[in-house]
Amino acid sequence: MDALYLIKIGEILLKLGNRKEFVDRLRSDLNKRLESAGIPRKIEVFPGRYFATVPEERAAETELILSRTPGVNGYARATKTQKTVEAVLAASVEVAGSRIAAGKRSFKAESRRSDKSFPLGSFELSARIGQVVLEAFPESRVDLHRPEFTINAEIRERAYVFGDPEPGLRGLPAGSGGKGLLLLSGGIDSPVAGYMMARRGLALEAVYFHAYPYTSMEAQAKVVSLAKVVASFTGALSLWIVPFTETQLKIKKDAREDLTTLMMRAAMMRAAHLLAVRVGANCLVTGESLGQVSSQTAENLRLTQSLSDFPVLRPLVGMDKEDTILLAKKIGSFDISILPYEDCCVLFSPKHPLLKAKLERERASYEALGLEPLIADALQKAERIVLR
Amino acid sequence: MTYLDWAATSPPDGAILADAALVAAANYGNPSSKHALGAAAKAALEDARGRLVRAVTAASAKGRIAFTGGGTESDAIPLLAVLRAALNAKRDGSIKRLHLVVAEIEHAAVYEEAQLLRSLGLGLTFVASESDGRLDPLKIGAAVERETALVAVMAVNNETGAVQPIAEIARSIAAAAAALGRAPPRLHVDAVQALGKVAFDPAASGASTAAYSAHKLRGPRGVGALWVAEALPGSGPLEPLSVGGGQEGARRPGTESLQGAWAFAAAAGAAASDFAQRVARARALEARLLSGLASIPGAQALPLGRTPGDERYSPFIVSSAFPGLSGEVLARALSDAGVAVSTGSACSGNLKRAGRRVLLAMGLPEELAASAIRVSTGDLSSESDIDSFLEAAGTAYRALKT
Repeated sequence: MDALYLIKIGEILLKLGNRKEFVDRLRSDLNKRLESAGIPRKIEVFPGRYFATVPEERAAETELILSRTPGVNGYARATKTQKTVEAVLAASVEVAGSRIAAGKRSFKAESRRSDKSFPLGSFELSARIGQVVLEAFPESRVDLHRPEFTINAEIRERAYVFGDPEPGLRGLPAGSGGKGLLLLSGGIDSPVAGYMMARRGLALEAVYFHAYPYTSMEAQAKVVSLAKVVASFTGALSLWIVPFTETQLKIKKDAREDLTTLMMRAAMMRAAHLLAVRVGANCLVTGESLGQVSSQTAENLRLTQSLSDFPVLRPLVGMDKEDTILLAKKIGSFDISILPYEDCCVLFSPKHPLLKAKLERERASYEALGLEPLIADALQKAERIVLR
Repeated sequence: MTYLDWAATSPPDGAILADAALVAAANYGNPSSKHALGAAAKAALEDARGRLVRAVTAASAKGRIAFTGGGTESDAIPLLAVLRAALNAKRDGSIKRLHLVVAEIEHAAVYEEAQLLRSLGLGLTFVASESDGRLDPLKIGAAVERETALVAVMAVNNETGAVQPIAEIARSIAAAAAALGRAPPRLHVDAVQALGKVAFDPAASGASTAAYSAHKLRGPRGVGALWVAEALPGSGPLEPLSVGGGQEGARRPGTESLQGAWAFAAAAGAAASDFAQRVARARALEARLLSGLASIPGAQALPLGRTPGDERYSPFIVSSAFPGLSGEVLARALSDAGVAVSTGSACSGNLKRAGRRVLLAMGLPEELAASAIRVSTGDLSSESDIDSFLEAAGTAYRALKT
């Protein structure tokens, strides 16, 4: 038996000029995600709606994919019926039956009719559905304002009946915003930043700076797990692991102590910039939040920003930590992020880090460190892991 | 791999394990069964018990041994018995609240169990160690209260190797109890790192109970022993919280593992038989290690000023600090260089304080404690193992120190 999903698409409908491009992109993205999960599928595109047909036993996986695909507004298990009043009413009673069995009572019926040859108008069809459901389930009642469930009937090329759609991620289809490079640490913030930009249609690659043996292989494995979480939203993701020990040791040795953290961040930004050029990204993404730690003041962000002319997207910049944690829990990265392994800053913890970098002066300090050859070497040795 | 993590576990002696498997296969009856096979198994079990009790009591064979599932369980039985006593006392209304005195440097098996008992309503006083890693018997005595039911101290600390003055502690708590006009509390000794390594006789030291584990001296995992004195101070027998078929003198119910018991007795017997030579060898390795550490600029033995041959420390365990380099990082680099050591007890990631409880309880600065690693030796360790460690540690320290 097959499971049929009605998929509602959202924001891309507003894109008048290049709607077709967005629609095609979402369709091909959905197709790719189901394919890489090995799920046999048929995807049909109709105005404002997609339909995906998959084998019944793959329904749960399909729903997980649908719930994580940007551009999907919502989805519902649907029943396809013959385009007759009797068939639509019978399917409506069936949908209502499963909801009533789950203890729900009040409902409303909603109909949409694009095929004007159907004998009933949408208002009349809704009324008939309400009537037959009330007859079949005397314990049910109609509530048009706050129903416990809705029965939807759509009369289009074919007729469909479905219950309440599950919410999707909304946003824009993956890749419609180009490709960004996410600076991924082992912390709570960066995976959330990746998730937020994935919703805006950004395809992502990610970079992790590994300072072995100061940071452990367990810490690296943790970042791989976090990258997999982000990949479940972007569809796929390449994680670049850049060996950064030499660069960090050089900073530790030659930089003034209060500048070490700032110089390391600047070096990472520089390395990310060079990597972004190499992989064809059009922006950098970080989990920085203004003032969260001393290195994330506007002055210090200005300095690190000066190492790249790509836009540095910081979706968490105005967010409160508690809000970020809620999101991290929602996307399933939080429990991984709090695993107790040192992060890449373990080498540096200046007692009094510089809070307000002066651009010219600190940029000169950075240049004086002469890190370019070490960074180039680190990028040469970078390892790439493809996650789906 | 150069193995210098014997305090964590030791490579099992294959001959002992094989022999124990044969004995257990031949005597497969349940030692509690009344038929001939049961009697044979029972006889073999009692044989193992007799040998083990001699091994742990310097051949005096005083007290009783109950075989258990390991060191942690052997620690838990006397501690949880206090909970049972406390619940009984509460029911009688005789005593309001029982109390425990526990050394802050105890292994997690005691330390965490004591915290659990506190969360369940028992009183608990932790006693810190001196800067040399040893406990002051007077401070332990001073912590004894009118309702103290149990004092728990270890014989040898698993991170520093510090040998604790158990006999003096027993005298101190007896004197403190007498001053309060009460019988002495029971004294439980975690002797897991002592057996076969340090002369510790629970019977002669005045302990009430002592915990042992087989795998620290080339026996198998999953078997330990609880030694119980012939006469226990305080009122009533040692009543375990876990009950069942009454095996092991009702202290550790459950069908006995003859294989484990046999192997434990054999391993402990082997360690006891050439005790003096083994300790002398360990002392030689300790001296080599300490003098080698002194030649690595910056490295320090812990506690600071530890010297070779000092009877206050087990020769099998040496802790050292490498300031400016996290112990965890050094242990990782050493592992890559083919040398296995630990940072101390099982560390809980980067929660530095949690992983460094013992060293911090000695009053060491956090920086120094975080840079510590533990080297521990055993019967198969050689001078070249020590040399490999010193070379690898020196190289890694020079390269990675910041």
